[in-house]
Amino acid sequence: MSATRTVFIAISLTVATSHPVSATVKDFAAFFDKHCADCHDAETKKGKLDLSALKFEPANAENFERWVKLHDLVQDGEMPPKDKKRPPADDTKHFLDSLSTELSAADRAQQAGEGRALFRRLTRVEYENTLRDLLALPGLQVMDMLPGDGTAHGFDKVGSALDMSHVQLAKYMEAADKALEAAIAWMPHKPEVYSARHYPGAEYDFKIVLTNSDAVTLRNKKHDPWGIPLLGEGEHSKLGLRELEQVGTFPYRGAIGVFRHEDCAFRPRFANFAPVYAGFYKVRLSLWSFWWDKGEVKPSPKMEGGWLKADSSLIGYFDAPSLNSKVTEATVWLESGDYITFNAASLIPIRVSETKGHTKEYQGPGIAIDWMEVEGPIVEQWPPASHKRLFGELPLEPFDTKSGVRPPPRSVVKQSKPGAFPRPLHFQKDEPKLWSVASKQPVEDARRLLADFIKRAFRRPVPGAEVERYIAIFNERITANKSFEEAMRAAYRAVLCSPDFLFLREPRGTLDDWAVAARLSYFLWNTTPDDTLLALAEKGALQQPATLRAQAERMLNDPKAERFITNFLDQWLNLKDIDQTTPDKQLYPDFSPCLQDAMVAETRLFFTEMLKKNLGVQNIITSDFSMLNQKLAEHYGIAGVDGFAETKKVSLTADMHRGGLLTQASVLKVTANGTVTTPVKRGAWVMEKIIGKPIPPPPPDIPAIDPDTRGTTTIREQLDKHRHDPVCASCHSKMDPPGFALESFDVIGGFRTRYRSLGEGDKVDKVGNKRLAVKYKDALPVDCAGALPDGTVFKGIDDLRVALLKNPDQIARNLARQLVIYATGADVSFSDRAEIEKIVGAVRKENYGARSLIHEIVQSPLFLRK
Amino acid sequence: MTFTTNRHLSRRSFLRAAGISLSLPMLEAMRPAIATAANKAALADVPRRMIAIETNMGILPQNFVPKTAGRNYELTPYLEILKDFRNDMTVFSGVSHPEVDGGHQAEMAFLTAAPHPGRGGFKNSISLDQLAAEHIGDRTRFGSLPLQVGAESYGSLSFTRGGVKIPAEPSPSALFARMFVQGTAKEIDTRVEDFRVGRSILDSVNDRAKQLQRDLGARDRERLDQYFSSVRDLEQRLVRAEEWEHLPKPKVTMPAPKDITDKNQLIERVRLMYDMTRLALETDSTRLVTIFVYTFSAVPAIAGVTAETHSLTHHGNRPEKLEELRKIESAQIEALGGLLGGLRSAKEENDTLLDRTMVLYGTCMGNANAHSNTNLPTLLAGGGFKHGQHLAFDTQRNYPLPNLYVSMLQRLGIGTDKFASSTGTMRGLEMV
Repeated sequence: MSATRTVFIAISLTVATSHPVSATVKDFAAFFDKHCADCHDAETKKGKLDLSALKFEPANAENFERWVKLHDLVQDGEMPPKDKKRPPADDTKHFLDSLSTELSAADRAQQAGEGRALFRRLTRVEYENTLRDLLALPGLQVMDMLPGDGTAHGFDKVGSALDMSHVQLAKYMEAADKALEAAIAWMPHKPEVYSARHYPGAEYDFKIVLTNSDAVTLRNKKHDPWGIPLLGEGEHSKLGLRELEQVGTFPYRGAIGVFRHEDCAFRPRFANFAPVYAGFYKVRLSLWSFWWDKGEVKPSPKMEGGWLKADSSLIGYFDAPSLNSKVTEATVWLESGDYITFNAASLIPIRVSETKGHTKEYQGPGIAIDWMEVEGPIVEQWPPASHKRLFGELPLEPFDTKSGVRPPPRSVVKQSKPGAFPRPLHFQKDEPKLWSVASKQPVEDARRLLADFIKRAFRRPVPGAEVERYIAIFNERITANKSFEEAMRAAYRAVLCSPDFLFLREPRGTLDDWAVAARLSYFLWNTTPDDTLLALAEKGALQQPATLRAQAERMLNDPKAERFITNFLDQWLNLKDIDQTTPDKQLYPDFSPCLQDAMVAETRLFFTEMLKKNLGVQNIITSDFSMLNQKLAEHYGIAGVDGFAETKKVSLTADMHRGGLLTQASVLKVTANGTVTTPVKRGAWVMEKIIGKPIPPPPPDIPAIDPDTRGTTTIREQLDKHRHDPVCASCHSKMDPPGFALESFDVIGGFRTRYRSLGEGDKVDKVGNKRLAVKYKDALPVDCAGALPDGTVFKGIDDLRVALLKNPDQIARNLARQLVIYATGADVSFSDRAEIEKIVGAVRKENYGARSLIHEIVQSPLFLRK
Repeated sequence: MTFTTNRHLSRRSFLRAAGISLSLPMLEAMRPAIATAANKAALADVPRRMIAIETNMGILPQNFVPKTAGRNYELTPYLEILKDFRNDMTVFSGVSHPEVDGGHQAEMAFLTAAPHPGRGGFKNSISLDQLAAEHIGDRTRFGSLPLQVGAESYGSLSFTRGGVKIPAEPSPSALFARMFVQGTAKEIDTRVEDFRVGRSILDSVNDRAKQLQRDLGARDRERLDQYFSSVRDLEQRLVRAEEWEHLPKPKVTMPAPKDITDKNQLIERVRLMYDMTRLALETDSTRLVTIFVYTFSAVPAIAGVTAETHSLTHHGNRPEKLEELRKIESAQIEALGGLLGGLRSAKEENDTLLDRTMVLYGTCMGNANAHSNTNLPTLLAGGGFKHGQHLAFDTQRNYPLPNLYVSMLQRLGIGTDKFASSTGTMRGLEMV
């Protein structure tokens, strides 16, 4: 055992007063006496571990963990250490077998009572998806109303970390209210469809950019001097925005060519439009690119691209081909009051207005926007599906304000952005202004509607007596003179705050079909089970292996599986932290948010491809393809990928040093701090996330390494102590090597042979546009060689990947464990290991296919028992 | 123009009235009135309060940040104005919100520290006061009072968990009415009704949870127990909220203040809002106030000031512009001194109100000329800290300002060790 590691295990060992007594336990003592006592007896206590004092008390969780660690150290051959006399194989086997039997038995006894998984509430992601699907409100945003979820074992799905407080509960009440408000129709007919074309030259923000000389007016793919003339040319060039409006230059209906980069924190708005009704809208954008040469419009050397965002979401990336207008349509959910904003995402960061001569002297790439069209909301049925989920086919009728019943409260829906269109009238002339659901048999209708809703909401059949609880709330409101709608709303709110809805309840032992339906659904879709799953559960047919398999197939093929992929990767690979650090602007001028978006897309689509084609888990280590758009391909130095809107499958060759998750820029960015990389952090990440052998945290008194960007020392030199101090080496010899190989990649995942520095070093040839100032220098060379603990020597990332590929079992074992935690909300315990080995054995026969792995997990008792 | 005179008179008479009728008796009278069984526990503690103020166009660092650190720091022109409060406040430099950039856009992250306000798709997060209100907001009639001066319709420092802006009150007279003018019986009924619906829902789900409990094992039951205590806590809060509706609002003997409509009377407007703030705290109407001071297009009516504040902040280091800006900022600091003085002269039990009220004063830009969002000039007065020093941090690698917010939350009695990108509590700042 390594000395350092021992410290961590033994640090809280208390002095024991007696030896363990049972027969097996006596065997352990004998093994220790014979093979370990030289170092770990009461006198020497190397690494502060005295095995003669270690009691065997597996019922105590801490003691149990300590024995599991002992087991693993002996099993992995780390203890006794290589330079000491090794116990005969038989002794070791006997020790491991009997310890394993004892630990498994203890673990199973613990699980037999309550199962592996804890009773847990929904995470906030699950909660939002659940409400969206339950109420047919695909754009509902309630997640951010709730406090963040805790995590355990790397995931937010583990019960012990999902706490509940009055704040949480108050927010559930608020969120339920918001969702119900959004679901209920209050007009008798569809909202009016707004359809219009918006020219950037009619928008205040673009006009400002134009008058600042950060953009140009274009017509017929040429500069249009009748719009905004170039600096110093003609009368207009001296006019301000107001005067240009007066002389009729604005609104301008030609194209606007922009140069700005998003890092300017400026994204012009199409402020003449803001939706009144939330819903799906079609957004069309016409774009092209050009090379600006001091007033002349020339062909762009490559494709450029920009994005549109709404306040609440990314609408998408749009391609801008050279001198060729391209119209792209996207369908997107817009919230009421969202502004749509544009950004020339692919362009280099430069403010033309701050260069000499402004646009008159500027040479560089630009993106031209012809126009943007919007159309919507797109409503297929009225009343909308969300309303029908709550009120079925009951008619909407004018509310009788003279009935004495309190009218349902209505918040005023209006154009919230001053000056923006549309400005609809919700009701026609002479039409009543207050509508609500009408029921002739309120109690019967309430009972019927609630019974149906509750079954979906609670994900299982609900006895009539349970429905009565919510009927009581309905009755209470009716008695208080409230309308049918309001009384129903109170009852629905109670349903959505009940523990049956908020918590995933699983029976002890083997799960019933309802619980399996929920597990499947929250695993592969991150949401509540759909009608098909509920119907199968009703028939009691869900757990037949063929049915389970068919359902898992169906679910993986459904677009909702994207939620699983996104959420799982966010947590497994820490992709959710991608925005945590901003690369230093001076060291990494080549970084942009556009690049970051492409990084995340690569990893998500890569994993999607693995699942779709059932590719082996070896692809985690290396692959002959990746998923790239133009931005990322340029970053990787791969030619021939055009466009930003679409991420494409691209073949990789050996000379690119890419392939697998380890060389993906997203992973390389989340494992760096924005300024420098450290092999320690990246190595520890690889050990934990990819190999599945996490390294214990460093001793508390060891300071972090201070990064050096002056170019005088390399990180390898700073880490030299790890090799020479045996205490450090015990862990670092395992975790640093993968990090050494990854030193070939900088903090934004670019391949490098020399470090960048802001001090010492050689000047760098200006890359790309020559106006882009490169302030960093090429400094010391990167040393990416190393040796694995088993002695395998590697020269760099390519060799390392070959070495890691030798043990696909371990890669599969780790991914299986990560998925099981995610799918079941419980860590893989000692006695669960046997099941994991069965899963690994089964997928080995299928070339370790990732999709097969999901199927094996779904069929495993780990998944089908609590 | 007679307008100015009128306004001036009304403010003076208001101040006189406030000075006479609102002192210790108001606080003492209010507190027993609300000490029902439900909230006795909450009142056992010393009430702690917070005012957070952001002026949005920066503060000239050369006039604010002392050259020397520690207890014996040398006064700077702005701190000279506040020298009477030297031992009641701590000055910070070399602090900022990590990853908060975007120039002017950062103004909305002053109390949230949400990263990258300038980026597309930016989402704000919960502000300091709203997080605090989740814990102590039920102890007063108003959980928190987001206020603003000069920001037309859109400015506020307060944001919900979802990053939604909570509209801030711009009108001192409307604020006065909310705090001191009784609502109609119908208005009260409607709100009480809402609380009752909430409570009957909670009763129902609590009952259901009891049934569920029977089927659960011991470890699972522990999880459900959290649900029970959540229901219980929330119920108590709704009971308290209803009690507030029935309790008469504090009575004040003065006329309502008149709003100042001229945006160039910026300093007067700020003073009036500060006065209302003190009134809110003296009557224990709230314990959490945020004030967004939006100076952008105002040409403050100060002798020698000729240009709008925003254009002055792009001074390009021209002395005449810097001088005009100094005049505006000095007047703002004087107004702050007035607020601190008012709080210090109000007594509550054996403390001054300032002893129990943290006053945070700061801005979103360390250098508005360059739109930089680092090295934010910041000060914290009162509230029960060991003050009297200048805590100077690394101007190259700034110390996280959210750490101060963690210290402030803890001072409010909230057991948290994290706010936004904090890494701990404010180093060097100790509670009394």
